[in-house]
Amino acid sequence: MSVTAPIPELRTEQKPPLYRDVRVLRWVGQLIVLGVVLGFLYYLYSNVITNLESKGLPTGFAFLDGKFGSAIPGIDDAADLTNGGAFIAGFMNTVRVILFGIPACTLLGILIGIARLSDNLAVRSFGTLYVEAFRNIPALVWIFLAYFAISLSVLPRIDDAPTGGGFVISNRGIGIPWLNPDASRMTFGLMLLAGFGVVWLVLRWRRSVNEKTGEHSRGGLYGTLAYLLWIVVAHFVSGEALLLEGSEVGANARNIVGGMTVQVPYFALTLALTLYTASHVAEVVRGAILAIHKGQSEAASAIALTTFQRYRFIILPQAFRIMIPPLANQYLNITKNSSLAVAVSYVEIAAIFSREANNAAPAVQAVIVLMGLYLVFSLSISFVANFFNRRLSLETR
Amino acid sequence: MNNLEDLKSAALEAGGTGEAIITLSEVDKFYGDFQALKNINLVVGKREVVVVIGPSGSGKSTMIRCVNHLEEHTNGRIIVDGVELSDDIRNIQEIRRECGMVFQSFNLFPHMTILDNITLGPRQVRKKPKAAAEAHAMELLERVKIPEQADKYPGQLSGGQQQRVAIARALAMEPKVMLFDEPTSALDPEMVKEVLDTMQDLADEGMTMIVVTHEMGFARAVADRVVFMADGEIVEVGTPEHFFERPQEDRTKLFLSQIL
Amino acid sequence: MSQLPPSVQYPEEPVVPDEQAAPKQGATSALAQELREGLFKDAKNTIVTLLFAGIFVYIGTRAYTFIFDNMKLTGDGSLANSWLVIDQNLTAFMVGSEFGRTGIGFPMLWAAIYLTAMTLGFATGPEKGEEVDPMPGRTRASIIGPALLGAVVLMTLTDTFTPKLLMALIPLAFFVGFKGVGLLPEKVMVHKTKILVVLAVLIFLLETGFEPSNVDSFGGLMLTINAAFISIVLCFPIGIVFALLRRSTFGLLRPVAVVYIELIRGVPLISLLFMGEFALGFFLPPDSNPLPSVIRSIFMITLFSAAYVAEIVRGGLQSVPTGQMEAGQAMGLSPLTISRRIILPQALRNSIPALVGQFIALLKDTTLLIIIGQRELLGISAPLLQNAQFRNQGYAPEVYAFVAFMFWIMTFSMSRASQRLETKLGVGTR
Repeated sequence: MSVTAPIPELRTEQKPPLYRDVRVLRWVGQLIVLGVVLGFLYYLYSNVITNLESKGLPTGFAFLDGKFGSAIPGIDDAADLTNGGAFIAGFMNTVRVILFGIPACTLLGILIGIARLSDNLAVRSFGTLYVEAFRNIPALVWIFLAYFAISLSVLPRIDDAPTGGGFVISNRGIGIPWLNPDASRMTFGLMLLAGFGVVWLVLRWRRSVNEKTGEHSRGGLYGTLAYLLWIVVAHFVSGEALLLEGSEVGANARNIVGGMTVQVPYFALTLALTLYTASHVAEVVRGAILAIHKGQSEAASAIALTTFQRYRFIILPQAFRIMIPPLANQYLNITKNSSLAVAVSYVEIAAIFSREANNAAPAVQAVIVLMGLYLVFSLSISFVANFFNRRLSLETR
Repeated sequence: MNNLEDLKSAALEAGGTGEAIITLSEVDKFYGDFQALKNINLVVGKREVVVVIGPSGSGKSTMIRCVNHLEEHTNGRIIVDGVELSDDIRNIQEIRRECGMVFQSFNLFPHMTILDNITLGPRQVRKKPKAAAEAHAMELLERVKIPEQADKYPGQLSGGQQQRVAIARALAMEPKVMLFDEPTSALDPEMVKEVLDTMQDLADEGMTMIVVTHEMGFARAVADRVVFMADGEIVEVGTPEHFFERPQEDRTKLFLSQIL
Repeated sequence: MSQLPPSVQYPEEPVVPDEQAAPKQGATSALAQELREGLFKDAKNTIVTLLFAGIFVYIGTRAYTFIFDNMKLTGDGSLANSWLVIDQNLTAFMVGSEFGRTGIGFPMLWAAIYLTAMTLGFATGPEKGEEVDPMPGRTRASIIGPALLGAVVLMTLTDTFTPKLLMALIPLAFFVGFKGVGLLPEKVMVHKTKILVVLAVLIFLLETGFEPSNVDSFGGLMLTINAAFISIVLCFPIGIVFALLRRSTFGLLRPVAVVYIELIRGVPLISLLFMGEFALGFFLPPDSNPLPSVIRSIFMITLFSAAYVAEIVRGGLQSVPTGQMEAGQAMGLSPLTISRRIILPQALRNSIPALVGQFIALLKDTTLLIIIGQRELLGISAPLLQNAQFRNQGYAPEVYAFVAFMFWIMTFSMSRASQRLETKLGVGTR
């Protein structure tokens, strides 16, 4: 169409002045604010530099090479570590907390969450009681209760600690049997990880059997059997790692030797955080299952699926998708809350910082390292969560 | 295009006073690579009622949303009452003051009473005193026949009532032009009539209106001109008689056969 | 298929909650029926029920012994009720051990408490012309119940008569505010927010004896509540600004907001408190006076919370349909007016339940002050346990259980109140 409609006389001029041009306005305002923000940041930065210099503190990160000079339980010669090395040791101790805490709180949280939806009134009440008790009391109070009120008051002193079966339970630590020190623990651990690959292969095989013949895949059964078998293989390959070495009280009745010793602060911290976070995970699980429309459940019943099949194929896959972001949030929380360990003298990142800051390390830089290390956790967890989130949401297309 | 003559004559002898109030000239609109509007030329005269119809996705809504700059057109010129829609923020605000808009989903402000909904614009934009703004609002509510609802909240009204409030809210700005973006599409069938009646009253009073709608009965009864759009283009323009009795274009015929 | 599932034959029941109607008829038999269905439906259920009943009985008896039948040695070798440790230190738990130092005095403090109760009543009471909200009895009970339980426990723990009497008067103050708000004319109620701010400032001044720097001497529950309250009030506007920046079309400023929010949310509060304690001084201009530790902590908690509030408000902003903004634009309103009059009021209303949740989290987070040596409710317990009378006698369970109980009372009733708020807002005008 090439017709040009008649255009009437214009009352306004063509080019607006700058202060009225939306294209200009759009940029000027934010440039000003951005300038103010950057200026403020520069002001803070220059203050820091001036203050550090006037106090004779270094302005770089050279302090990381300085000597740490403090003990870390479970690490020999910790005092000889550099500050940077101590941060790494603390980082590993944080990893130890979440390595146990995340799976444990997930498992417990799912159980409690499902319990809260149970038909049985007693089970349901138990779930509610658990959730309302644990999430309404601060994590740090739970840690104090677990450490000062339970671990330190209830656990026996080491001279009259009950022992047996390779276990030692005392307020100096909890000894448990552990892998044969003569075997290659590394090989064993790696093989346990590799076992998941084996299970994956078995599950794939069962799925193809199911597709070809219609026979039930029984993935749980076959997967478990395959993994157990794999453990046996790993046992022999690694040099009999499963010939466990028990713990016992040392000769001087002061420490625990052999096996593995769980430090009491670690025990209290991990226990408290797991129980506390599980109450939040339970709410996430419950919310996600409730969010699945009733119609889904009814549709599943209408095609005569059993309760188990209904949960396995219809409800949980959908609930899981809704659960990922809030669940990742809870994992972030348990990671961040692990910093509360500083209150029960379990030496992880925050405790390392606290010791260094009291030991004349430049506080500003040390805080930056401290935050940076936590950001490593946060970013990794968000990254993994986003990965799953994207994968699962694509599957629905 | 063999209805070129139709378009030209329609543009020149507009239904109302014959004086143009809205002019769209060679307007294009792109979303990225997708062209939503292709070379739109349309002149609306004062006191004229133009009804825009067409299949969904044909660019009808985009076109009238360009008129009051809710969407920014990419090329071409849009002139409302002698003011060109340019990058001048004063022009944009002036045009918005002159164009009342009624949305498909009403878009009343749920946290304000009906009265506050209507007086917000006059108070904030036209700087009217409170008493005068409220008196005018009550007049408008009388006009759309729901004065008794003044102190309620939008959520307490039916869809039809909400849409009539939305019309009153737009009128409160004393606009020269009213834009209706599918005003009855979100309504239950039994409420469509009350809204259309209000719109017809408005047309009878001589308001300039552009109406995007699927209500063919309304188009036939009230429109001075009907514009048919498809795929971002204006396909055919004509009087309701021309349009419904003897459409020229194949696409128009196909569309009409599908809906009538 | 011979028979359709019942859910297909019958339409779903309406979702309108009607708590009064159902249980009234033949309440006892209905209850018995419910219990039978819920507990002993079949053999499997009965076994599970018995198992859990066992757990409950075990917890119950342990709790009973712990609470009512619990004697311990004191420092002088005599055996006493172990709750003596709370009893004797109740004042310290409530206001900290430094409180006497400033000479603010208890009359001023009680005045602050009454004013707080009245303000709470004022904030929650029905305004003129607003119908009194028919809150379901169960909800009301779950909000008031814990508060009452807390009051009873505190009263049992106080020895003398005067504090009991003074405490008994708190509900009266609440009632005065709750009813009084309905008597005020509409003209005054327009300024409700301003009145609340003035009242809050007045309460704070009373607490500090009109000497704000006395905040340094706060301890115990008083510090907990003040730190939480001041932080949430201060972080609110900051959070809104960052939420608006993050949502804005201003491409240059969005990264600033994103970096701030994600950075803060990615690190634990303790790292910020450490920063306040050890590093904040370095950011201030050279030779400025060091701020009191409490103020620095509250400042850091505020910065921390602001990031979370920003995310909550952002959620609220996202829940406002774009049509609302377009309607404002079409009327020719300026962007500022659209934000202030149309978008924000709706966004904030939608965020209220989540904001209450954040406040609860903040209250729990104040326990972290202990790590930088502040003596809030949890922090005060360590020095108390070091009293000669109780040292090394294993009083930790009682002390920490009491602290846990106090937190539970506060957070549980608040979370219930926020659920209530959620339903109230949900059935509102939209």
